[in-house]
Amino acid sequence: MNPQYELVIDNICGMGLSFGFDGFRILYAVIATFMWIMAVAFSAEYMAHYQNKARYYIFTILTYLATIGVFLSADLFTLFIFFEIMSFTSYVWVAQDEKKESLRAGDTYLAIAVMGGLVLLMGLFLLYSVTGTLKIEEIVPAIITKSTYPEQLQKRLYTAGGCMLFGFGAKAGAFPLHIWLPKAHPAAPAPASALLSGVLTKAGIYGGLILSCYIFPGDGKWGTLILALGTITMFWGAFLALFSVNLKRTLACSSVSQIGFILVGIGTMGLLGKEFDIAARGSLLHMVNHSMIKLVLFMAAGVVFMNLHELDLNEIRGFGRKKPLLCFIFLMGALSIMGVPFFSGYISKTLLHEGIVEYIHLLKEGEAAVFFTAAAMKAIEWIFLISGGLTAAYMTKLFIALFVEKNREESKQVLFDNRKKYMNPVSASALTLSALFMPLGGLLPHMVMDKIADIGVSFFTVKTSGHIIEYFSFENIKGAVISLTIGALVYLLVVRRLLMVNGKYVDRWPKWLDLENAFYRPVLLTVIPFVSGVVCRVLDSATDGMVVLLRKTVYQDSELKREPEEGNEFTHKIGGMIDRLIRYLNQTVWSYQPHKDNVEHKMAIRYQQISESNAIISRSMSFGLLLACAGLALVLLYLLF
Amino acid sequence: MGEHAITLFYLTEKLPIMFKADAPGILFASVTVLIWILCGIHAIGYFKGDKKIKRYVCFYILTLLALLCLDFAGNMITFYFFYEMMTLLSMPLVFHTEKKEALMAGLKYLFYSLCGAYFVLFGLYFVYQNADNLTFMPGGVFSGELSSGKTGILLVAAFCMLLGFSVKAGMFPMQSWLWAAHPVAPAPASAFLSGIIVKAGILGMLRTIYYLFGEKLLNGTWVQTVFLVLSLITVFMGSLLAYRETLMKKRLAYSTISQVSYIIFGLFLFQPVALIGAILHVVYHAIIKSCLFLSTGSVIHETGKTRAQEWLGIGKEMPVTLWCFTFASLSLIGIPPAAGFISKWNLCVGALYSGRPVFYVVGPVVLLLSALLTAGYLLPVTIRGFLPGENYVKKESVHTPAVMLIPVVILGFLSLWLGLFPGELIEYIGQFANGLL
Repeated sequence: MNPQYELVIDNICGMGLSFGFDGFRILYAVIATFMWIMAVAFSAEYMAHYQNKARYYIFTILTYLATIGVFLSADLFTLFIFFEIMSFTSYVWVAQDEKKESLRAGDTYLAIAVMGGLVLLMGLFLLYSVTGTLKIEEIVPAIITKSTYPEQLQKRLYTAGGCMLFGFGAKAGAFPLHIWLPKAHPAAPAPASALLSGVLTKAGIYGGLILSCYIFPGDGKWGTLILALGTITMFWGAFLALFSVNLKRTLACSSVSQIGFILVGIGTMGLLGKEFDIAARGSLLHMVNHSMIKLVLFMAAGVVFMNLHELDLNEIRGFGRKKPLLCFIFLMGALSIMGVPFFSGYISKTLLHEGIVEYIHLLKEGEAAVFFTAAAMKAIEWIFLISGGLTAAYMTKLFIALFVEKNREESKQVLFDNRKKYMNPVSASALTLSALFMPLGGLLPHMVMDKIADIGVSFFTVKTSGHIIEYFSFENIKGAVISLTIGALVYLLVVRRLLMVNGKYVDRWPKWLDLENAFYRPVLLTVIPFVSGVVCRVLDSATDGMVVLLRKTVYQDSELKREPEEGNEFTHKIGGMIDRLIRYLNQTVWSYQPHKDNVEHKMAIRYQQISESNAIISRSMSFGLLLACAGLALVLLYLLF
Repeated sequence: MGEHAITLFYLTEKLPIMFKADAPGILFASVTVLIWILCGIHAIGYFKGDKKIKRYVCFYILTLLALLCLDFAGNMITFYFFYEMMTLLSMPLVFHTEKKEALMAGLKYLFYSLCGAYFVLFGLYFVYQNADNLTFMPGGVFSGELSSGKTGILLVAAFCMLLGFSVKAGMFPMQSWLWAAHPVAPAPASAFLSGIIVKAGILGMLRTIYYLFGEKLLNGTWVQTVFLVLSLITVFMGSLLAYRETLMKKRLAYSTISQVSYIIFGLFLFQPVALIGAILHVVYHAIIKSCLFLSTGSVIHETGKTRAQEWLGIGKEMPVTLWCFTFASLSLIGIPPAAGFISKWNLCVGALYSGRPVFYVVGPVVLLLSALLTAGYLLPVTIRGFLPGENYVKKESVHTPAVMLIPVVILGFLSLWLGLFPGELIEYIGQFANGLL
């Protein structure tokens, strides 16, 4: 199953790069290229008043090249290299306007990217140590040849998988590493948000696909993990989106949720095994759909921001009234993501749903390996439908706020209504062109969506059934209807009642429930560095401390010899001792009448006197002796002569 | 490989002062010369108007002499000779400013280095007693079987020698001279200290392990375990302290402590891939760290900003310098395709291949943690340098003299280029590394 067309560039980075050009890779390269062209076309107007435009465009191009590199890569080494480049170059998007929140969001983005990248790298090390190759197509054979399966290798393989999943999941925005998405998307310029959400998260998913299809193909345990992760992500994202009152933040949370849908599909694929391609097709189509939908929706949000420089739902409320083109564009995206029949999102969601149902069916017949009980699977199905419902609810919330309700301030609404030139023809055509995909795919599912699936599905290494799915059968429409009904109920009961006060949208999300501020930042930036900082500081100063200790004790410098100013060693010591004694007594016994003696000085003077008189004596003695000698000599001479 | 040896004279019958140009020597010497020239060019700009430049240049040249002799030393006694000489000759580079803290730091450098050298000498006596000669031989100088009692003593000797060399390499517990000496030395000197002189300790360890004792003697012994543990502690400790340090040059000094222990870790795994990674990291770290120190030096010289927080908007004032700083940073963190990634890849894969219990997985984990911390202490500098926030008022761009710019640009470029095309370097290192194991 080697890619038909391959490009290998030896020697770069030691291991060489290799690219493949087969169905899925080409498909996503094309989609990415299309989205980039649309986004850049829109950027021309959107970025007109920004500073540092050149920087933005340079990094947009670099990110494009890196992203294409990721999608075309034929081995994990190549993938990792471009993945890292992509993470770093896209940072500039998030921090582009250099506002305080943007810089903070950028920091979060970069921190998650770096951490994810390093954990991914660890995974690659482990994988490489098991398989000895990182070529995607060669991994399975390499594992199989070694699969007398020593227990340890198996364990290492799963650890590798876990690490890599962490890295890819961080980029894709899977729970609990989704925290960068709701921060980064509102901060980035809209065209960049569209690409971040539409393409860059898919790079993470692409990694997840490689894990699921080439390292753990048809592995139920792995499928279980992905499915569980997907379910949480899917629900949590939708839940967050429902509470948000910021247009782009809602869309970002929605991205998290949709990534969850895709992961559910990939997980189901693992559970179903290689015999069924339904979940694989669903995942693939939902990836494509989500890319296109988010392109449209984020650019539509960009149009709003470009005109108002506001994203708060209360401020932008009513902007879309009397703007049919914008309304059409937004509606296409919204209906598609809600999964309304005859729009492309319906097709992929139906397939994903079918996948789950298929597995439940197999479980009941006892034909599938049991990783979930039928009841648990049923619960997942319901979470799937409810998440779909929540999607419908928050998209309705956005649509009604933007296009139906009037702004609470009359004057503003008048201003909004009078603004007829809200985007230039280039932007308008870019948006419309992108938006046309949704009804096209939905109305002609077999001509458009199935074709796309056929191109890409070979990458998923599942057996193609060739079975044609009746998208508009009663069973399938029923699922959509249930979802939409739940959505309508949630909108009427929760959004209109709980999340609105006096006709105003309020943010009911408790501040302390923000994972980033409540957990990640304090733990990673304060607690851990502080604790290990103390330990390291102690270690660092251990040797120096020892040197100081020794110098204070054993290797103490001996005091330099000093000649006393007056007197000698004896008077200095004794006198000093007596002086200290007197000082002590003055403070205690004689405190009422202190003695003011300086015995040391006195003794020194006495010593001086003594030594002087000594000198006199010795001098006179010696003089006397000298005289005596002279006398003796004279006497001697006299006696001789 | 044709190896030519020159013997100058004999100390005693068994101890010649001799030189030999073998593969690792050539590699180390090439890197030395490259960095020496570039730091020298940078120094022209850095010391402009400084009256003491003559003294600096004099000792700078003498240091090169000592280093080249040391790289090409053919036996341990020659190596030791020039190792001591290098310490003494490079000390005035630290003293340069003649401020009190510079003198104190210089003395600390001297005492630590001498202490290390005595350890080496101490171990060397035992080797001398048990070996025919001290000439470097791949696989070690001991011929024939050694009795178990002797092996024990030799292990102690090996430990002493390696510990002695590790002082220069800045490994825990003898690392503190490094962060004391670097911030007070002038930037080109710091760059040279960090890039090259520290590597003399590494060369010493390489020679001791693979050319004097032989990997067979040390493999699986307590010496190996102790050094693996110490190097990993140092890797983490250095990075963390760098992360918590605000003074730029001191931060880079801590970073050196951490990065050089990557190399030590690689040397002690006794695994070919890891050994290649370690020696690659010698080359890469020399280039990267001198780039970082030189660009930091340029910024400090032109703007006087020594602390990381003050570098807000530096990227707008000195764009080229900060770009090079950024490339070197990415390389040091190990972001592909920059150079540091290649060496870390080899180190970690080698660690996993070695299969040494505990270390095969703890090693890579610690290295990656350290990489994360490296990102934590280098990237914010770049980010705030280029993206100072909307309140930043654009200042006049600072004119950096070409002599200070060119070396930084060359080094910044190399730290990317050698990552993209490391093929020949790996091949060259592989040739002799595979011969050693």
